[in-house]
Amino acid sequence: MATNELLSVEGVSVFYDKFRALDRIDINVGAGEIVSIIGANGAGKSTLLKAIIGQAGRVEGRIQFEGENILGRATADIVAAGMMLVPEGRRLFPSLTVEENLRLGWAVGRKGEFGFAELWRLFPALEERKRQKAGSLSGGQQQMVALGRALLANPKLLLCDEISLGLAPLVVNELYALIPRVKERGIGILIVEQDIERSLAVADRFYCLLEGRVSLAGHPREATREMVMKHYFGL
Amino acid sequence: MAGVWINQILQGILLGGLYTMFATGLSLSAGVMRFVNIAHGDFIVLACFLLLILTTSLGLNPIVATLVILPVAFAVGFGLQRFLLQRVVGENVLLVILVTFGLSIIIENGLLEGFGADPQKVAGGWMETATIGLGGGINMGLFQVVTFVAAVAVVAALDLVLYRTGIGAKIRAVSDDVAAADLIGLSSVRIYAVAMGISFVTIGIAAGFMSIWTDFDPASGPTRLLIAFEVIVLGGLGSMWGSLMGGIVLGVAQSVGAQFDIAWQMLAGHLVFLIVLAVRPQGLFPKY
Repeated sequence: MATNELLSVEGVSVFYDKFRALDRIDINVGAGEIVSIIGANGAGKSTLLKAIIGQAGRVEGRIQFEGENILGRATADIVAAGMMLVPEGRRLFPSLTVEENLRLGWAVGRKGEFGFAELWRLFPALEERKRQKAGSLSGGQQQMVALGRALLANPKLLLCDEISLGLAPLVVNELYALIPRVKERGIGILIVEQDIERSLAVADRFYCLLEGRVSLAGHPREATREMVMKHYFGL
Repeated sequence: MAGVWINQILQGILLGGLYTMFATGLSLSAGVMRFVNIAHGDFIVLACFLLLILTTSLGLNPIVATLVILPVAFAVGFGLQRFLLQRVVGENVLLVILVTFGLSIIIENGLLEGFGADPQKVAGGWMETATIGLGGGINMGLFQVVTFVAAVAVVAALDLVLYRTGIGAKIRAVSDDVAAADLIGLSSVRIYAVAMGISFVTIGIAAGFMSIWTDFDPASGPTRLLIAFEVIVLGGLGSMWGSLMGGIVLGVAQSVGAQFDIAWQMLAGHLVFLIVLAVRPQGLFPKY
């Protein structure tokens, strides 16, 4: 249990029609803590993030953010309360400029101290390209816009869904170098990632999902590679 | 002889202003929400009848009456999208078409019940009869010129809202990717409703000018929808300035066609539409 608990997910199940994508999941994230969710394809990682942000199908259980129930609330309310998702595949709006995409983050968010001055300091490459259409950027730059858009919402909790997907290793290094800097601001970070090593290297704690259930949880340095592999693949 | 043709082209351009007004709201709603509101023309006619009541029963000046109905129009558009159309959006395009088609029938018959089938008109007073002489036997009606200028202003204002404001960026974002908007907490339901509200404000403005420019009766709606639809396809879906060009092309085609033979007026417009559709299906100024 984190000392300064931000998010608490208790006994959460998610259903798509008859199919149960998540089965009574318990996880929690504290302020300034990096928590990784690892798991194979189809283990329910993205579903978990969608359930937390209010975009999953039928959800049962309890989801609390800063001690308040958020299950059943609209995504816009949850975002305004201080949670923001960096969606899988970046999901920028290609016909909008970089700056317009970023401004949307500010518009939907909590209106805190993280503004454009901070953003340009973190991503100097984006300031030069702010008038370009987001669709014209490289994959790495688009991921920076997606991350920047989320940070401009001034989240207390940041949800990152597969931010390394489809990017060159060097670019992924750059992105992951930013994560501790986000944490320094006291922001809790929940990372979903298929790249186990990358994800465990940056995390304070981790959960491994297997077929919709938590198969392993703990601190990365206490978990051996064999243990993780066993619970990752369920062998 | 050339003067006659120049005159017809000029009148056609001015008519294009009115046609542009029919189309801008449809262009916005179709461009953002990707469905055609079949009742668009009928709502224009409904607004015309509303203006008729305000100007005759309450004795309001037509300009004042038009300004009065604009906030009402926004509320009607917002509510219609939020509480009715939103229920069928995204399910199946056919459902939205059926629902708006149903609305069209309800409005037409409701108006027929209330006002009868006689053509009506809102009196524009001196605005209607004043003309501007250009020499060489060419005259422009003051009201027609004002309509054209207003159409340009509507297009410019919508373009400004869409491309220079926060709400415009949100509307374009939802138009780009509805699911992504919802994922980041940008409620597409709300944005859709606002877009439809804005669309309905243009319906109110169009009605203000149409109700003075021409006769209308409860069955006038579908023709207005057809014109609006042709204008946005000519201009390119979602492009506001394209709508202005589309309106002018259609207006000039009809006006020149009518000079050959009055029976050719509508036909010439449709022919130009079909030719452009065949040669340049994305429209003259495509946005999407």
